[in-house]
Amino acid sequence: MSMFRSKKLDIGSFLNIKVIRDHTKRKVFAQYEPERQALRYIIQNTTLPAKTRAEAQLQLTQMHCYTRPTQIRGRCLLGGKGRGIFRDFRLSRYNFRMQALEGNLPGVQKASW
Amino acid sequence: MTRSRILQPLRQSIARPLAQPSRNAFSGSVVARRSMASVDDSAPSEAAKPEEIPPPAALLLQPEFNHLTGKTDEGAVRLPRAVQSLYLQPLRREQTYGVPTCDLQLRSYSVPNLEFFCDFALRAAYYLNLPAFGPVPLPKITERWTVPKSHFIFKKSQENWERITRRRLIQIRDGHPETVQIWLAFLQKHAYYGIGMKANVWEYSKLDVAGQLDGNAKSMQEIVEAKMMQHLGRDKTAGTVQKVQELLESERFRHQ
Amino acid sequence: MSVPRARLLELMKAQCEIFATTYNPDGVRMGNKILRQRLRGPTMAKYYPPKGPSLQNLYSEFKQLGLEGINEEWEDWQEHLAGRQQRGKAPPKKKTGPPAPTKGQK
Repeated sequence: MSMFRSKKLDIGSFLNIKVIRDHTKRKVFAQYEPERQALRYIIQNTTLPAKTRAEAQLQLTQMHCYTRPTQIRGRCLLGGKGRGIFRDFRLSRYNFRMQALEGNLPGVQKASW
Repeated sequence: MTRSRILQPLRQSIARPLAQPSRNAFSGSVVARRSMASVDDSAPSEAAKPEEIPPPAALLLQPEFNHLTGKTDEGAVRLPRAVQSLYLQPLRREQTYGVPTCDLQLRSYSVPNLEFFCDFALRAAYYLNLPAFGPVPLPKITERWTVPKSHFIFKKSQENWERITRRRLIQIRDGHPETVQIWLAFLQKHAYYGIGMKANVWEYSKLDVAGQLDGNAKSMQEIVEAKMMQHLGRDKTAGTVQKVQELLESERFRHQ
Repeated sequence: MSVPRARLLELMKAQCEIFATTYNPDGVRMGNKILRQRLRGPTMAKYYPPKGPSLQNLYSEFKQLGLEGINEEWEDWQEHLAGRQQRGKAPPKKKTGPPAPTKGQK
């Protein structure tokens, strides 16, 4: 959502609306995480009155979808792809192969066993 | 590939004692001297200076042998001991009690770099009067990835990649905590490329810990209180705890 | 020789008092596991690398120190824009304020 997006571009990787969106979601999640966790705590705490817990449930469901961690997806830093990403390198499989062939990834070499 | 080629001359000189002083030897001597200096201004201790420990007899008495002319130079000036010792295995201090005080783990993708830096760390420990043990080779960490070489439909032709992390463990026993810190700082200052370091440090105190703490309590009081105000016990989830209090006191929750 | 439950509970209570933990003999769900979790937002937000300095930013920083640099690309672009302006091909100015109400339409 554009209201969360930063006014000035603040990432230096491959650019793409999907990448910008994902970055925005990450920042929004980081900002609202304590609140989400607090609500989750109130919901799961069975010693609190039922009404309070129900209220907390309501509040949690009413939070914006950008504050949800499930919205976040790893994206390739070099191509913006959303599938087949290696978490260790944050690259898609194709870009990983290209970088590995060029020798840009320290320690990565062709394996045969 | 290139790394191992660069390091080869040094390795040859290690294997052949008393070779002509090469450039590598000179740079090594600088390191050794610097580390001795750090002993002088840091930890005065009772153990012998490196000069007083007799090196192996073969190294001492044998005159310089010139490999080009095939003769021995009788009148040649002997290398300083600290330089001579660079051609041999690193010297070690004797342990007295065998109480481990520091575990240093070194990780790297390339073996030559790792071995070189282990050697350096051991020599530094020797000149700091720290009994060092190791390097113990720990199990390799092998990570493997398989990727299709091209598009989705050509799944049959794939490529395997791997990354092997080599690890070495150097243990310091009976080290004074301060000296161990100096050693770690020295290693960090002269960190070698492509090598990661991780240290577990143990400190031991006397039996009367409570008494000592009481003694220190007054001076520490202000710092502790400031910390307690910030986060009580747990520091990582302070945000959540504050938020819970805030929420429970908020209007929406209080009207129930 | 079995120890009575009450005694064990007493021990547990004392233990909890000493180590400042929650005394919860019935295993009631208190949601404390959520308070124990660390916040993972800061690491998640650091996924994409931050934007590095651009040439233009560097020059503007240098200007404060009394230094000047020439960004040829930018100057060429400015020249090109000026040329377009002269030929009357420049983009129209941005409107400010709400659009004027349309009359008589519809």
